[in-house]
Amino acid sequence: MIELSKIGKTYLTGGVETPVLHAIDFTVEEGEFVALMGPSGTGKSTLMNILGLLDRPTGGTYRLAGQDLTTLDDNGLSAIRNKRIGFVFQLFHLLPRVSVLQNVLLPFLYTEPYPPDAKERARALLQSVGLGERMNFKPNALSGGQQQRVAIARALVNEPSIILADEPTGNLDSVASGEILEIFDRIHREGRTIVMVTHEPDVAAHAQRVITLKDGAVASDERRN
Amino acid sequence: MSAADIALDVTSARRSRAKRLRPVRMLRLARHAAGALWSQKAKAFLMMIGTAVGIMLLTAVVGLSAGVQNRINQITAFFGPRSIMVFAGGGHLHGAGGRAEAGTTLKLQDAQAIQNQYGYEAVVAPGIFSGDTNVKAGGVGTQTHLVCSTPDYAEAFDWYVQEGAPIDSDDERSMARVAVLGTTVATNVFGAEDPIGKHIFINNVPFVVKGLLTSKGTSAMGFDQDDRIWIPLSTGMNRVLHQDYIRFIRMKVRPDYKVASVVDQITQLIRQRHRIVPPEQDDFRIITPDFIAQRVQSMARTTELVGGALALVALLVGGVVLMNILLLSLSERVPEIGLKRALGARQRDILVEFLSESVLVSLFGMILGVLLGLLPVLLIPRLFPMMPMAVSWKTFAYAALFSTGVGLLFGVQPARRAAKLNPVEALR
Repeated sequence: MIELSKIGKTYLTGGVETPVLHAIDFTVEEGEFVALMGPSGTGKSTLMNILGLLDRPTGGTYRLAGQDLTTLDDNGLSAIRNKRIGFVFQLFHLLPRVSVLQNVLLPFLYTEPYPPDAKERARALLQSVGLGERMNFKPNALSGGQQQRVAIARALVNEPSIILADEPTGNLDSVASGEILEIFDRIHREGRTIVMVTHEPDVAAHAQRVITLKDGAVASDERRN
Repeated sequence: MSAADIALDVTSARRSRAKRLRPVRMLRLARHAAGALWSQKAKAFLMMIGTAVGIMLLTAVVGLSAGVQNRINQITAFFGPRSIMVFAGGGHLHGAGGRAEAGTTLKLQDAQAIQNQYGYEAVVAPGIFSGDTNVKAGGVGTQTHLVCSTPDYAEAFDWYVQEGAPIDSDDERSMARVAVLGTTVATNVFGAEDPIGKHIFINNVPFVVKGLLTSKGTSAMGFDQDDRIWIPLSTGMNRVLHQDYIRFIRMKVRPDYKVASVVDQITQLIRQRHRIVPPEQDDFRIITPDFIAQRVQSMARTTELVGGALALVALLVGGVVLMNILLLSLSERVPEIGLKRALGARQRDILVEFLSESVLVSLFGMILGVLLGLLPVLLIPRLFPMMPMAVSWKTFAYAALFSTGVGLLFGVQPARRAAKLNPVEALR
């Protein structure tokens, strides 16, 4: 599904080159649940941004289902983000002024053609994360765990090829975290490809594969089961 | 989802087709933008005030100039669009009838000279208006306007008899004591009786009524046009008023000739006859519909210019305020922009969203401004009937044009800034 070969990222600040990622090589198969670990400042976020097409690598190639994405322009990257990538953020990033349902529908603002069953899909997803009764609430009326569930429904609504989650439980208590991880387990069982950044080993334990970054390079890549 | 689906998405994303903004998508984004505005009503209101004030002033100014145009059209229609009036006496215009001391310089011979030289270009009717003339019949007396003019008066003023006969050339030649009455005089003096054939005294000179004019009603100036009596010019000069000068020469230019060139020709002719060499002042003046239109327009011009300038300033100030509020609120919306980029918004989508907000705000400002601006346009003519104000399609066209312009012009910089945000930094 995802093939990274020799992905590098170097920031240029004030004429000084700061390398953040060095020749990252790995592939993620369809349906895999991968945890991305490593100490702060090792380039996890940068790698996630590249995987999520929010940032471009300064070297190497990124293929999705065999298609090279590094040659796409900004419009092309946006279209692929919209259709093929679902984001779950640590801080939920819900739009406070619109309802839970409208938040889940947000990706469809940018989808061509607009799917005729958009609302049904969004409702079904909210049901599946246990928020069927709260669809018309504003996000502020929900708990953190519930807000993150809305965000997961939003990430899934356009049936993306990969889910990118950046410390999705980092802002939640243990009960809410448990609920969120259960949902991730479930969507993994349903065959989704998931890449999740986390600091916590017990969160990483939900993944079948843990890739550890150190100083901008892959330090270890372990598969379980 | 298969690899083939993804391949299809990537190839379609590569094609330029994906770059176009479809109207459906723009509408969707505009609707979303409307929602964003609705959630911040107070701020949206602040953003639209400037535009509203500007459009209000614009509406009032356009209303004034439309009213002036209407008034000009009315006066032109009343005066006759192809008509020329030559009045005795120089100097400034004191109203279409001229003043009592207007002068004695215009002679019947002037009119005859014009008739001889340019009679093929225009109908020429020389005459005298005399206000407050006493008329009396069968013990009933009243005052009316006396018009002494030749048979051409009817054609020159497009004013014909509805009953009886008009003044004819025999009457003119023989200084006949015959009169044609306006309907008001007829009713005042004879009541419901048929006036034709009856005797009437004008300044104690006995006349026979031979015709009744059609009714023209009240003029745009509030003057009863039917309150008049028409007698032959020769009779008026020699038997009633005892004067050897006339007060006006009315002309109606025939269809194949230009009013302006007839005016030039008769100006030259009268100057020549009166031995006037410019820069010496003319002892006559010539009034045309164009001349009146210019007078009316010049009275309104200052108001229009000042009002228009104020409207423009208000729109500019409103636009700058709009832009600054948008720029200020941009900083709190950075995470929202980052999120939308992550969800697949292109730079152009963000641009359209923000531009929609500023244009929508301006359009709401326009609606408020037009409503406020129409108040004086509709009320002032009721309170002061002499103030010309009218609603015209231009009001709405200009309002829409200027408000959209303000929204686009002052919204584009904040929108571009929003669109150019780096999504990674915006999400941080």
